[in-house]
Amino acid sequence: MAKKVKGVTKLQIEAGKANPAPPIGPALAGYGINIMAFCKEYNARTANRPGEVIPAEITIFTDGSFTFVLKTSPTAVLLRKAAKIDKGSPQPNRNKVGRVTRQQVREIAEIKMKDLNAIDLEGAMKQVEGTARNMGIVVEG
Amino acid sequence: MQWLEITLTVDGEAAEAVADVLTRFAPQGVAMEATRLETSLDSDETRAVGDVLVRAYLPVDAALDVRRAELEQALWHMGQLLPLPAPTFRPVADTDWAQAWKSNFRPLRLGRRLMIVPAWLEPALEPGVAAIRLDPGMAFGTGTHPTTQLCLLAIERHLAPGAPMLDLGTGSGILAIAAARLGSGPVLALDVDPEAVRVAGENVIANGVAGQVRVVAGSLAEVLAGQYGPEWRGAPLVVANILARMIITLLEVGLAQIVAPGGLLVVSGILDTQAFEVTAALKIAGLTIVAQEQIDDWVALIARK
Repeated sequence: MAKKVKGVTKLQIEAGKANPAPPIGPALAGYGINIMAFCKEYNARTANRPGEVIPAEITIFTDGSFTFVLKTSPTAVLLRKAAKIDKGSPQPNRNKVGRVTRQQVREIAEIKMKDLNAIDLEGAMKQVEGTARNMGIVVEG
Repeated sequence: MQWLEITLTVDGEAAEAVADVLTRFAPQGVAMEATRLETSLDSDETRAVGDVLVRAYLPVDAALDVRRAELEQALWHMGQLLPLPAPTFRPVADTDWAQAWKSNFRPLRLGRRLMIVPAWLEPALEPGVAAIRLDPGMAFGTGTHPTTQLCLLAIERHLAPGAPMLDLGTGSGILAIAAARLGSGPVLALDVDPEAVRVAGENVIANGVAGQVRVVAGSLAEVLAGQYGPEWRGAPLVVANILARMIITLLEVGLAQIVAPGGLLVVSGILDTQAFEVTAALKIAGLTIVAQEQIDDWVALIARK
């Protein structure tokens, strides 16, 4: 069935720094949309949050136009902040690099709730815990 | 510069963790593309469901082999915790991505008197042909979609010289600009999306029709309340290129009331499988169907009050 929407792509990029180089250029090239228009608008909307990773979810229409919304910070970024670590474990199955409490997982799940495909907070917490485990972060409690 | 594209197809839960690993090696960021879209039957809204393609790009340089090996190792370790597919690799040549998309848009001749021209092109125009100059961007309506084309053709056929037109859900402003270029009277172009209002406003100015076309943030309720002047509560031509469900909803709250007696309502954004529902809603609202036009599986309905 034909639809007005051709595709949905989320870009996980740094605020104010969108440009046509990878990943944005090649990720959007297949859709044939105005990449500079996206970069300009993204940079304008995120200029006041330098240094943050702010995902943008782009909806591409079948006529080559598009729209986008800014999303909450990636779960992994929120987990690293909560665990006070710079990066996830390179060997999450062997080396644990940090700890977060159940309460912190709950807080992150509450922030992420609207972006995760979770039915309820419990489901969202499970997804956050899953991401933590895969980064080598232990959930306590 | 060459790039190496890395792609993993994973479920939504693994996507964030995989993206985090890839970000370590590709600090410019990652892209996550939906593999499947689902459109809800009751609202026509589309959302991403199912697996996600997580992509990152490594520069091809002397350090590539080391970085790629480290990346594969990091993914292997993660794979011990949750099953991950093997990443696929593909070389990507450096391209002028800021310009390359433009090749998707060419001048497009529609009907007898209209031509949609991408803003960066200057094609020769035949006499009597009105050009609509557009920079495709953040608002629906570049001219290439069947619903836009159906509406443009309907406007060309049914707009009386000097007559006003109301464009509900103007998007890029393409239909409003077309009406003005075809010799309409005043045009009121409304959209609830502030981004569309901004883009349409720019396009109206770029096409030199700002004197005729007024672009405002708003919808049917404001028109019914007389906010744009009493004359808009009875326009001889009203066009709404939105989506079937929204058109039915608008018909339920008085869309037919803003069409002047004897005037026409053009609705589009309707799939052929939805046409009977919209037809029924138009009849319930007291309108008579004059024509049903179709391009591919998209339909426009033209109804008289």
